[in-house]
Amino acid sequence: MNVPLSALIWFPAIGALILQLLGFVKKEKDIKSIAVLFTTVALGLNLAVLSKSNSGTYLFQAVESVSWIENLGIRYLVGYDGISFWLTVLTTLMTLIIVVATPDTTKNLRGFFGLVLLLETAMLGSFCALDLVLFFSFFELTLIPMFFLVSLWGGPNRNKAAAKFVIYTFAGSIFMLVGIVALAIQHQKVTGQLDFSIINIQASVASGKFWANAIQAQTFIFWALALGFMVKTPAFPFHSWIGDTYAESPTAGPILSSVMVKMGSYGFLRFCLPLFPEAVQSQAPVFMAIATIGILYGALVAIAQTDMRRMIAYSSLSHMGFVLLGIFSLSYKGMIGGSFQQFSHGITTGLLVILVGYLVEKHGTADMNAFGGLKAKMPLFAGLFLLGMLGSVGLPTTNGFIGEFLALMGAYETGARGLFGLSTGFAIASGLGVVLGAVYLFVMFQKVFYGPVKVTEGPDWQDIPVSKALPAFVLVFFVFVGGLYPNLFFGPMEASTQATRLMAISEATKRPSWKDKPEEVTIRVALEDPMQGQYIRAGSERLISSARLHGNVDEKREIR
Amino acid sequence: MDNNAVWLIILLPVLGFLIQGLAGPSLQKRIGKKALGVLAVLPIAISFVLGLMLTQGLASQEHAEAVIVTGGSWINIMGLNIPFEWVVDPLSMTMVLIITGVGALIHLYSTAYMAEDKDFSRFFAYLNLFVAAMLVLVLGNNLPLLFIGWEGVGLCSYLLIGFWYTDTTNTKAANKAFIVNRVGDWSLMLGLFLIVVVISGANVPVEDNRYLSYDAMLPALTTALKANPAMATAIALLLFGGAAGKSAQFPLYVWLPDAMAGPTPVSALIHAATMVTSGVVLLNRMNIVFQLSPTASAVVCAVGAFTALFAAIIAFGQTDIKKVLAYSTVSQLGFMFIACGAGAYWAGMFHVTTHAFFKALLFLGAGAVIHAMSHEQDMRYYGKLGKYLPITFVTMMIGTLAIAGVPGLSGFYSKEAILGSAIANSHAGQLSAISGWVGLGVAALTAMYMGRLAMLTFLGKEERWRKLPVAEHHDHEDGHDDDHSHALTGDHKPKEVPVAMWLPLVVLALLSAGAGYILNQGKRFEHWLYPSGLSQLGELKHEVPNLEIYSYIAAGLGLVAGVLVYIGGLPAKEGLDETKWARWRRSAANQFGFDALLTNLFAEGGRDVAIGTSAFLEDQVIDGAVEGSASGTRNFGGWLQQIQTGAVRLYAMLMLLGGVGFVGYFLFVVNRGGK
Repeated sequence: MNVPLSALIWFPAIGALILQLLGFVKKEKDIKSIAVLFTTVALGLNLAVLSKSNSGTYLFQAVESVSWIENLGIRYLVGYDGISFWLTVLTTLMTLIIVVATPDTTKNLRGFFGLVLLLETAMLGSFCALDLVLFFSFFELTLIPMFFLVSLWGGPNRNKAAAKFVIYTFAGSIFMLVGIVALAIQHQKVTGQLDFSIINIQASVASGKFWANAIQAQTFIFWALALGFMVKTPAFPFHSWIGDTYAESPTAGPILSSVMVKMGSYGFLRFCLPLFPEAVQSQAPVFMAIATIGILYGALVAIAQTDMRRMIAYSSLSHMGFVLLGIFSLSYKGMIGGSFQQFSHGITTGLLVILVGYLVEKHGTADMNAFGGLKAKMPLFAGLFLLGMLGSVGLPTTNGFIGEFLALMGAYETGARGLFGLSTGFAIASGLGVVLGAVYLFVMFQKVFYGPVKVTEGPDWQDIPVSKALPAFVLVFFVFVGGLYPNLFFGPMEASTQATRLMAISEATKRPSWKDKPEEVTIRVALEDPMQGQYIRAGSERLISSARLHGNVDEKREIR
Repeated sequence: MDNNAVWLIILLPVLGFLIQGLAGPSLQKRIGKKALGVLAVLPIAISFVLGLMLTQGLASQEHAEAVIVTGGSWINIMGLNIPFEWVVDPLSMTMVLIITGVGALIHLYSTAYMAEDKDFSRFFAYLNLFVAAMLVLVLGNNLPLLFIGWEGVGLCSYLLIGFWYTDTTNTKAANKAFIVNRVGDWSLMLGLFLIVVVISGANVPVEDNRYLSYDAMLPALTTALKANPAMATAIALLLFGGAAGKSAQFPLYVWLPDAMAGPTPVSALIHAATMVTSGVVLLNRMNIVFQLSPTASAVVCAVGAFTALFAAIIAFGQTDIKKVLAYSTVSQLGFMFIACGAGAYWAGMFHVTTHAFFKALLFLGAGAVIHAMSHEQDMRYYGKLGKYLPITFVTMMIGTLAIAGVPGLSGFYSKEAILGSAIANSHAGQLSAISGWVGLGVAALTAMYMGRLAMLTFLGKEERWRKLPVAEHHDHEDGHDDDHSHALTGDHKPKEVPVAMWLPLVVLALLSAGAGYILNQGKRFEHWLYPSGLSQLGELKHEVPNLEIYSYIAAGLGLVAGVLVYIGGLPAKEGLDETKWARWRRSAANQFGFDALLTNLFAEGGRDVAIGTSAFLEDQVIDGAVEGSASGTRNFGGWLQQIQTGAVRLYAMLMLLGGVGFVGYFLFVVNRGGK
């Protein structure tokens, strides 16, 4: 079955509409069943779309292009590649998980699920949009449902949290909008045509014409976009919305948020790296510093939290720091690690949030000092929590390890070679984040699950029923699939990640482009590695050239 | 024997873990604890038999070759391929036999020791998982696989230290162990990264990019590091940092004494025989890096010697029988590192082997005593137990004499090998010989504190628990949840432990007595591990004139001194405290304040920094700036709610204005840039 990408993107929104129209369905249980059905279909559509993918190419797949606002060169242009591949899966998977995990007792379930589905469309759209204006529209569209989810279903300080969330994201977006407009204007100056398509802009960037004589403007516009993405990611010091959003939202909030933050890191990969190569190279140290500070600072602040959701929020700041660290290491291993970490952070954070959400649902608080000795009463719950925690601290064989390990390795390698003005200091300091990660999580686990049982009376202290734990089981499964068989995830990612990297670090004219002909693609990704010279010492240069001279392009093992 | 059996060796304990972990409680109801215990011991025992068969196949070759068994790929991306593959060589098989052999005995012992515990199956699930992780550590053919095992055993250690989790002391000790180990892991990971950088910089083409696999990595690393000794030192020190964490060397030893909070079989298996020796295994595996760096080797020697001495002194201060053994373990691990620093990697492994036997024996013996004494661990309430626990007494005496270095018993040979090579070789410079002589002194101390332990526990004239008040009779059902002194009463009658507990003691006692002599015959152990000597340092010297005599004297003097001091028993005054020595002893017992210093500095201090950062930097500066509240004002909650909606609008307006200004400037810059 050939499913168009747009069907996937818009299906949840249509589902949201249908859900509102089905007024005769009154029972909460039925409403939930319908929502589960819609999100399951969305996941199915996603897999159907991706089943046709070709992992050997970095070109966009399933591209759809329709004219939107013709005068301004704005198009409805969507497509996916290896960078967005797993993010779409994360979106549809986590939305399904959220819907399943939402208790029937939530008030106004119909509206709630409507917003969640709307958000799903907005996120999928963001991950697939290839036109800057279209991307911006989807990006902003996420704001509205999230605002209402927090302010209508949130905790006691929900208004403050919702306001902060909106102000922050909005502030970032303004800069982003400015950057987008400036990019289009620059494109007009270079080619005479106003265009918001990143395929066209990047093709011009790859040829070196786009930024010729405009290096200063490049850095400036890069920062405009980067600010928007930094707020979303969140990167230090634009992160303080995350604590309130996690603590005051309903359980769905942090999970949605943990997917939405990927729109930030994704933005760096999709837009910043390919479109601003020189700026990325010159600003890489700044972002490595931001990432490192985020990792350590997030972990440090997490240690001081007593509210479990706030703690998870700051741990997100720390974990997303590894994503940035990997991406801006501009090394292949690092970028793969950072991209992988995006997916694994979504999974482990979702798992922990769902479990904490269960405690909040039963006992009305996420304060870790209010609990104690839960393991004795709830062994299954404690076991699941432990597994989620292990994923979060990055124990080898869990998905958290793979991402952090590769991101750190890449950062270390680039630093050791002194490329882009980086040093090993970033990787060494960030490694401390792994130690601190163990501190806050293990101390929290000890307070909540170990020790004498603190509360014996009160509503049910029974173990989590297996039916309720189902979403958690699914996520635990992904924690270990990611940790033991990460190749499953690497496969579709590799070509696009390498191409994105080369777009950022190659010299002009040697950059790959999304307009490359399919036959050029394999050769480029496999062989053109400008850092290669750094790996190989003078005496062994011969290795590559002889291999190439013999027309042997399948010698990647030899060149490494 | 098909080498693919190595998969079974690893997967059997995993299977055991899954059975105990997933089906344990329901199986227990259906088939009972005894049968469940058999299911826990069996996988380890079968792994041991398989290990024996593989070892036999390996040893029957003239020069023991290595076999690499490759499975699928774990991490495979462009430029990096880390497969699941196992190396069957003398080093890994030695460890496999220790892990599964001693492991099986300890599992057997535990079936009795833990018989009354309500979380019987959970205990064996963790213990089986530990064996699996430890096997991955020693059998993995690349450093990332070693790292899986490395952190995996750390996790199991954490879970088992905190096994009786209702007591906060236990779980805090568990956290401490995990976190301190992570500091070491950080160092190990950086070492690994540096190796990646060095190897990819050296550009030795490696088939399939599996350049982190030992068989490809070590030759490449040798070539690269020969040209760059400073890099060898850096890598060696980073690796040693990891080893020091896992193997409890100064200053990262602090977690090990606290780890005694776990059940005693755990202390025997994890915190004496196997896991804590991982660092020595790592140094043996990566010996080439240390061979190329005399500087790092000197550091290893010095740290090992200092740790050995420091821990031996602290051991005198302990009154808890397990704590004495814990510090003794730290001290003995120091010996192993002296050997590795001196370049006698095989001697380090030799001591790993003999130590696994006699220290597991001592711990299990201590466990038997604790079991017999209503979970009282304070030696001041023991005395004359030899009369009540004859088998435990005799076997533990053998262990005591073995660790004390009495000639003929196993500890003597491995200690001799260490001291001899440390004094005779100059790979680590002057420090090597100094460490060797310090080691000789520590050997005397070892004999002395072990003599003290034996006197206080088994010998002497007094049965000191008789001085405790006689209990009113109340049933003490779940003794394990309450392992404090209240349980022991004046009318207590110690009984010898059941056969499942004393059988492992007897087997280990035989090994503690004979293994050293047998393995040392004709340098058998050295040639088994390093058949053609060391690649860089060549053959090592061992012989030091008269060293044997010095060792006899050290062991003899130590034992006699230990016995003489305590032959009169303990003074009854001041709560059986050792009055004469009290101040000094207490100071030693507190590790001379070192642990408290670290705790204050890092745990307490770190928490203060975290709270300060959170309260000031995060809440006031970063968040405060956003909320637009006057800095320092913390009660704007109500205020904010009133003007909430207004505030949003205001901010939006300001941002829009700012954005418009930004656009204007942009257009200006963009236009100017074009000209």
